[in-house]
Amino acid sequence: MRIVGVLLALAGWLLPVFALSVTQSTGARFGACVLGIIISLVGILGVLNKAHQENAIWKRS
Amino acid sequence: MKFRDRRNRCLCMALAMLLLCGLSVFAQAPAAEPPAQAVPAPAPAQASPAAGAPAMDVPLDIKAAAPPSTDELAKGDPGGTKTGTVGDVVAADSKKGLTLADLANQAGQNRIAINFVWTLITGFLVMFMQAGFALVETGLCRAKNANHTMMMNFMVYGFGLFAFWVCGFAIQMGGVGPYTTLGGGAGLNSEYSITLFGKSFGLWGTHGFFMTHGGAYDVAAMVMFLFQMVFMDTALTIVTGAAAERWKYAAFAVSSVFMGALTYPLFANWAWGGGWLATLGSNFGLGHGYSDFAGSGVVHSVGGMTALALSMIIGPRIGKYSRSGKPNPMPGHDIVIVLTGCFILAFGWFGFNPGSTLAASGNGALRISSIAVNTMLAGCTGSFGAILYMWMRYGKPDASMSGNGLLAGLVAITAPSGFVNTVGAAIIGVVAGVLVCVSVEFIERVLKVDDPVGAISVHGTNGLWGVISVGLFADGTSNYGGSWNGVNGSVTGLFYGDPSQLVAQLIGVGTLVGFVFTFSYVANWLIDGIIGQRVSAADELAGLDIPEMGALGYPEFVLKPEPEAVMAAGD
Repeated sequence: MRIVGVLLALAGWLLPVFALSVTQSTGARFGACVLGIIISLVGILGVLNKAHQENAIWKRS
Repeated sequence: MKFRDRRNRCLCMALAMLLLCGLSVFAQAPAAEPPAQAVPAPAPAQASPAAGAPAMDVPLDIKAAAPPSTDELAKGDPGGTKTGTVGDVVAADSKKGLTLADLANQAGQNRIAINFVWTLITGFLVMFMQAGFALVETGLCRAKNANHTMMMNFMVYGFGLFAFWVCGFAIQMGGVGPYTTLGGGAGLNSEYSITLFGKSFGLWGTHGFFMTHGGAYDVAAMVMFLFQMVFMDTALTIVTGAAAERWKYAAFAVSSVFMGALTYPLFANWAWGGGWLATLGSNFGLGHGYSDFAGSGVVHSVGGMTALALSMIIGPRIGKYSRSGKPNPMPGHDIVIVLTGCFILAFGWFGFNPGSTLAASGNGALRISSIAVNTMLAGCTGSFGAILYMWMRYGKPDASMSGNGLLAGLVAITAPSGFVNTVGAAIIGVVAGVLVCVSVEFIERVLKVDDPVGAISVHGTNGLWGVISVGLFADGTSNYGGSWNGVNGSVTGLFYGDPSQLVAQLIGVGTLVGFVFTFSYVANWLIDGIIGQRVSAADELAGLDIPEMGALGYPEFVLKPEPEAVMAAGD
C-alpha cells in the first residue's frame, strides 16, 4: 500500500505538468492542478498514512 | 565696448574650462538642474569631443566641487557636511587625476556595494533565526530531551552548510546566470535541461561545486551563497521539530545532509535557479511563472513536506496516543523560551523577506520598506487569528498556538511579501493564524501524525497557503527591474486580473505535495532501512539526552517521571 500511496502522490504531480501541453485554456489547466493536488493528497494522507497507521506504535501493545 | 569684450573673454574662458573638465556628458540634459556641489554646469553640445559621447578620460577640475580642505577637515565635522565628498572618490590613475570614468565606476560600485551589504546583513539576520528555531523547538519538547533537541538545531547548521557547499549551491544556482543586483555571478550559467512539449525544462545547475568550479570563486557568487545557504538551513531545521524526541541522531545527520545536498536545492533550482517552474510564464504563458518571493514554498513547504514524510515514517512518540487512538497532551517544558524564540524568528524574518530583493539600490529595490511592513503585519494578524480561534474554541488564549500563529503568518507572507499591499498582507496573515490551528488539530486527531512543535502545520500548510496567496493577492505594482522570471510587467494575482498566475502557483503547490513529499519520503524510507530512524523505546522513555548525547540538558533538575500509561505503552 505504501508504494500505491507514493505512486498516487507522483501521479497527482505529473497530471498538471502534462496538462500544460494538452490545453492552453487557463480554466482547464486550473482544473488539472486542483485534480492533481487532490490525487496527491489522497495518496499521501489517505493511502500512505493509513498504511503507516496499520502498524502504529500505539496499536502494538 | 570694454565691458562687452571682458564679458566675451570670460565666457570663452568658462567654455574652455568646461571643455577641460570633460563635462559635455551633461549636454544632452541641459534643462536638468545639476546638484549644487558635485556636478559643474552643463557644457554646450558642440564642446563634446565626439558628438553625444562623454569625455570619460579627461581629468576633472575637482576644485569646482569645492571639497573641504585638509585644514577644514582637521577641525572635525560635527554636522556631517564635509565627510564624503568628491575628494573621497578614488582616481584610477593618480597622476592623471579624477576623471568622469572614475566617477561613473564609483557610482556603479557604490550601488553594488549597497546591495552586497544589504544582502549580507539580511543573511546574517536569517542565520540568527537558527537560534529562534532552537529555542522554540527545545521549549516545546520535554526537559528530558532538551540537549538532544538543542543539538539537532545546533548541528543542522553545520551539516546543511557542508552539503550546500559541496553540491547544493551548484544544483540550485549553477545555471541561474548573472545576478543583476549583485553585479556578478556570470560564471554560474550552466543548467541541465530536458525538452518536453517542445519547451526547455531546466532541472538542475552544473556550475559551482565547492564554490570554486565554473566561475563560483566570485565575490557576487559568495554573497549569493551565504544568503541562499541560510535559507536552505531554515528548511532543514523545520524537520528537526517535527521529528523531535524520538529521532536517532545519526539518522538525523544523514537525512539533513541529503536534504541540504539534493531535496532543497532541486526545488529551489526549479523556483529560483532558472528551472522549469520559474519559466512557466515565458514557456506556457502562465503569468510570471511560479513566483515565490522569499520562500513560502521553496523554504517552508519543502521543510514542511519533508517533516510530514519523516513523521509518518518515524511514527508518534510513545504515549502520544492511547490505545483507542485518542491523542494525549504532551506539553513542552518552557513556554518562556518558546515565545522568546518566536520573537527572535520574527526579528530574523526582516532579513528573510526584505533581504530577498538582493538589493537596496536600483531595480525597484526600495520596495524593501513595503516588504518589511507586510512582514510585520502578517505576523501580527497571524497571532491575532490563532489567539482568537483558540480563545473562542477552548476558552483560553493558548500561548504556544499564539506563537505558532505569529510564525504561520510570517511563513504565509514570505512568498507574497514582495507582491502584495498591506491589506492583502493582513488578510493572508489572519487566514494563516486560523489555518495553523485547524491544521494542528487535523494532523494530530485525524491523521494521527505526531508533530511535537506543529512544524508541519506552521511551515507545510501555511507555506502552501503563502504560495497560493501570491496567485490571489499580488497587486501588480511591484517592479523589480521591469520583469519577473523573464516576463515583462509585474506579478498580478487573480483578484487583480490575472488568473493564469494562480495556475502557475498551483503547479508549484502540486510539485511540493507530489514531488517534494515523495522524494523526501523515499529518501528517508531508505535511510530508515539502512540505519534506522527511530531510537529504541527504552531510550525514548529515558529521554534522549543521556542515551544519544551523553549529557543532560538540565543536570541539576529533578525530572518528573512519565505517567504510568506512557511507561506501559513503551513496554
